[in-house]
Amino acid sequence: MDGVAVADATLRYAQVSVGYHGTPVLTDVNLDLTPGQRLALIGPNGAGKSTLIKSILGLVPVLAGTSTVLGRTPSQARALIGYVPQTDSLDADFPVTAGQVVMMGRYRRIGWWRPTRSADRRRVHEALDRLGLADHARTHFGVLSGGQRQRVLLARAIAAEPRLLLLDEPFNGVDAVSQEAILSVLRDLSAVGTTLVLSTHDLTVARELADTVCVLNGRQWAVGPPDETVTADTLRRAYGGHAIELRDGRTVLVEP
Amino acid sequence: MIEPFTVPFMGRALAELALLALICGPVSVFVFARRLSFVSDALTHTVFPGVVIGFLAGGIEGIVVGALVAGILTAVVLTLFSRGGALSDDASTAVVLTAMFSIGVVLVSRRSSYTSDLTSFLFGRILTVTPRQIAETAVLAVVILGLLLISARALIFRTFDPAGAAAAGFRTAWLDLLLNIIVALVVVAAVRAVGTILVVALLIVPAATARMLTTRLSLMAMIGTGLTLVAAYGGLLASWTASVDYGISLTSASAVVLLLVLAYLLLLPLGALRARRNHGRIASNARRSPHELVG
Repeated sequence: MDGVAVADATLRYAQVSVGYHGTPVLTDVNLDLTPGQRLALIGPNGAGKSTLIKSILGLVPVLAGTSTVLGRTPSQARALIGYVPQTDSLDADFPVTAGQVVMMGRYRRIGWWRPTRSADRRRVHEALDRLGLADHARTHFGVLSGGQRQRVLLARAIAAEPRLLLLDEPFNGVDAVSQEAILSVLRDLSAVGTTLVLSTHDLTVARELADTVCVLNGRQWAVGPPDETVTADTLRRAYGGHAIELRDGRTVLVEP
Repeated sequence: MIEPFTVPFMGRALAELALLALICGPVSVFVFARRLSFVSDALTHTVFPGVVIGFLAGGIEGIVVGALVAGILTAVVLTLFSRGGALSDDASTAVVLTAMFSIGVVLVSRRSSYTSDLTSFLFGRILTVTPRQIAETAVLAVVILGLLLISARALIFRTFDPAGAAAAGFRTAWLDLLLNIIVALVVVAAVRAVGTILVVALLIVPAATARMLTTRLSLMAMIGTGLTLVAAYGGLLASWTASVDYGISLTSASAVVLLLVLAYLLLLPLGALRARRNHGRIASNARRSPHELVG
């Protein structure tokens, strides 16, 4: 390890604004993530969670502030970042098998037309196996359940061996078995130094998995340990009055 | 069954269609998967005036150049339009396409051989294909298959998961342009043999039919090519038999396309059956996970 302070920063956002066509969607973002850190982005629909994730990939421009990802600009860091999109953004009718989807995680390494090698196939098998889907390698992606599809997409991201893993709503429409499988793999990845950034609606999951929570809605309202950020006060301010505190100290969101 | 093809013009027609079958199988798979039927349709409207202008400027040999320029131009414009979200405006797009088509008709109608020229541009002249045309089609086929071979992996990724492909560093705008250009090149390759109208069938029907038999992309491409080959042979034979033995005039290219569509219709029930079976598998997967929440 050389130059500990610099090498240790996985992601550094200082006073960052991100948005489309010069119009900011999200402002005042300050993040400082180290290897193995687990960040949950929470906030209501349209808060800018997906936009922030896409800005880390360099797919949405940073309009103001400074941003470094793994010591370089977001688009330069792309090869080292894994990305798990929302399953409903995919074409489920598309004729590919689960194994082929996971192999897509290797495409960057393989290149445009070189044939896949046994090392690639081994990685694909390992990734599927970790998520309990080794038997489904030849199953058509479209016939898998929502939770299984989500696990395939996580396997694809793992197969790329990323240092930073971004997940957009990984628990949406996911059954309990899949959620447990995903949570356990994410904890293992974090333990070996992979930094995690995930957006979620589920405050319980956020608290259970993340060591840092970032509350967003148009701007960054709070960032820090779950106990300090997932509070009735912060949530009420960020969500606009729909949070209540339970007697046992937990906070839940209620619709108006 | 082989005898008609010993007549030189029939043999050349079959060779030309075989080359087209070779490229239409794989290309139609991407047209089908990316739902680019509209792009193919648009190309036939815009390539037509290109063909007419090419013909007026340089005779038969000018057709390919005219088609090529119009095709590439259309591919670029369509890529820009679809990225700007302008393609959702059906009415204005339709107006532009119809206008392009009309320009072609106006230009060709100024000639004395108006009717026969128009017919050959719209429906092709498969029976008068020259060895030179076959050679040109072969060159285009090599270019098209080469481009596909290089980009297939990236195109598949982009088609299945645009956000994931972009995140993995693939430039989706360039991939979209590349595929539109590949489709344009197929139209250019096929335009003299089957005309601007019937080429749409070659770009859509092979994969749509093959999809009912398999869910594997590579197999879809091969079956698509195979089906087109069979339709080419059957269609040419039918039009030969109709005119030689029965004195009925049956346009060869139309016979080929009709056979292709017939194969599609015959296999439709099989496709429906397959879809039902897949549905059953989704249901049984869901049963295995009782806590499934549909998001």
